Amino acid sequence: MSILLMEEPMQFLSAAFIILWVISFALYYLVPVKRQWIILAVASGLFYVAGTGGIPIGILLTGTGAYAGGLYLKRSLETQKNVLSDIADKERKKIVKLGFERRRRRVQILYFVCSLGILLCAKYMVVILPCLQKLGLTTPRSDTFFGRIVMPLGISFYTLTAIGYVVDVGREQCRAQENPVRLFLFLAYFPAITQGPFNRYAKLQGEFEREHVFDYERMLFGVQRFVWGAFKKLVIADRINLFVGNVFGSAAGGVPGSIYALAVVLYMLQLYADFSGYMDMALGISETFDIFLPENFKRPYFSKSVAEFWRRWHITLGTWFKDYVMFTFVMSKTGRKIGKASKKKMPRMGKHVTGIIGTMLVWLLTGMWHGRTVNYILWGVYYGVIMCISLVLEQQYVIWRERLHIKGGKGYSFFSMARTWVIVFAADVLIRAESLPQAGEIYRALLLDFRLMEGILGVTDHGLGRYGFLLLAAACILWLAVSVWEEKGKDVRRMITESPMALRWCCYYGVVLLLLITGIYGGSYDTAAFLYQSF
Amino acid sequence: MEEKILEILEEYCEEALDYTGDNMMEEGVIDSFTVINVVSELEDVFDIEIDAKYVVAENFRNKEAVIELVRRLLEDE
Repeated sequence: MSILLMEEPMQFLSAAFIILWVISFALYYLVPVKRQWIILAVASGLFYVAGTGGIPIGILLTGTGAYAGGLYLKRSLETQKNVLSDIADKERKKIVKLGFERRRRRVQILYFVCSLGILLCAKYMVVILPCLQKLGLTTPRSDTFFGRIVMPLGISFYTLTAIGYVVDVGREQCRAQENPVRLFLFLAYFPAITQGPFNRYAKLQGEFEREHVFDYERMLFGVQRFVWGAFKKLVIADRINLFVGNVFGSAAGGVPGSIYALAVVLYMLQLYADFSGYMDMALGISETFDIFLPENFKRPYFSKSVAEFWRRWHITLGTWFKDYVMFTFVMSKTGRKIGKASKKKMPRMGKHVTGIIGTMLVWLLTGMWHGRTVNYILWGVYYGVIMCISLVLEQQYVIWRERLHIKGGKGYSFFSMARTWVIVFAADVLIRAESLPQAGEIYRALLLDFRLMEGILGVTDHGLGRYGFLLLAAACILWLAVSVWEEKGKDVRRMITESPMALRWCCYYGVVLLLLITGIYGGSYDTAAFLYQSF
Repeated sequence: MEEKILEILEEYCEEALDYTGDNMMEEGVIDSFTVINVVSELEDVFDIEIDAKYVVAENFRNKEAVIELVRRLLEDE
């Protein structure tokens, strides 16, 4: 049994989860409106415990800290108001207020250090433990102890969410929660606990507190979205994985650059289909409970710049880092000091210095948040540098475009999108490669060993046959069509619901049929992967 | 006051003046670098301190929201 928890999270596409969803859905609309949140809390608890090999100490520690911290901040703010209302002198008021603020800041910092400490320990244990062992700082007993610690389910999500909650209470952007179970529900709400989206307390709490009445169309929309997410995951992402896993897992090397190029392009699609598919499922499940979660993706591959790409990709993570790290740093005393000093020293560029430091800090943390290898840190630095360059030179770009008489027509829009794809392509090599040397080998093959003809002739030798590619292409065309409609502002779900009955049911049956066929394919894929490993 | 704020917005982000929606930050009309520069300029011009808690999408949703923020901070001073 693990100490912190989690052997295997309950998957959305498992019978156990579907049963949990259906039962909680039925009970949710049967119980009195004021008790509906309890059904969600119980379902979240069951979902969490099912993915746990033991007591979920991680989330209990982080959650209890957030609960206690929130209450302390609330009381401190109330006391401050009472005390200040009795003081007439302005200067005295300022000093007393500063004293309260300082005490609140200390409590917040203590909480951040503790909760992030748990996150770092859980996330980096596999890196830290071998180092300690090499240094001879461990004993067989401690090895056994640490070996039982595994990543708690959703730790990266609930830790940041809880930190956001504590900051928001301190900033008076929300009221502290008095009921610990309600706070637990906010942190561990089951559609969002595994991969997000990142929720803000004020928004989600507002959703929980609303009156929820059963609505057939909303339920249909929720299920539609869930099925569409499953389609992206099973038909597209998992199928691509056959090819990508084979190419990147090839220990022998010597793969032509052209095959690597295709594998990285497909990996870009896989990552998007997988993650946005999960989000569709999570948001769809939540929609059936009449709880609307924030959108996390807005068709990022239509972006005309990297900055826009990151405004459309994993949106809630980006806004979390922007609000709680970047602006907090820039507006801090240190940030202000740096800003003023740099403006004095460099009148033209000085104004960008704090923004550059803030951006680099955010991207370094984003890299560390995504993974624990050097590749992820380099990936973060890469994006940080690109974002800084593009933001600093933004005005310059406008001047250059004017001088070169480039007008923003369709051609230029496509060029801008393609430029974004190339930048994302180069970054994705880093996070998909098994190691830094492999990433280096892929860059080399892409630039110096492309072997296009060899790649074309051997494309079906890498885990995905001709029919697999055809099916993948068909699924991607359907996905692209839906994305283009959505990009044009059309509500595809409503279009389907309002279409003639025959067409509507054709759509439903078509997608479900494809899902079932892929499910069977998924099973054989696992067997093939197993056989491959045994060789 | 309003004129001065609009001048600052015009200097750093001309599109903000024509924007009529209600989420400039999310829609990419104003990026984080520009927000930082606008905040810094507002602080200097109006001699106010804009805490990080005010630098949120809500207060930068459009030019009216920025004017409202400065007005509120000036009243609190």
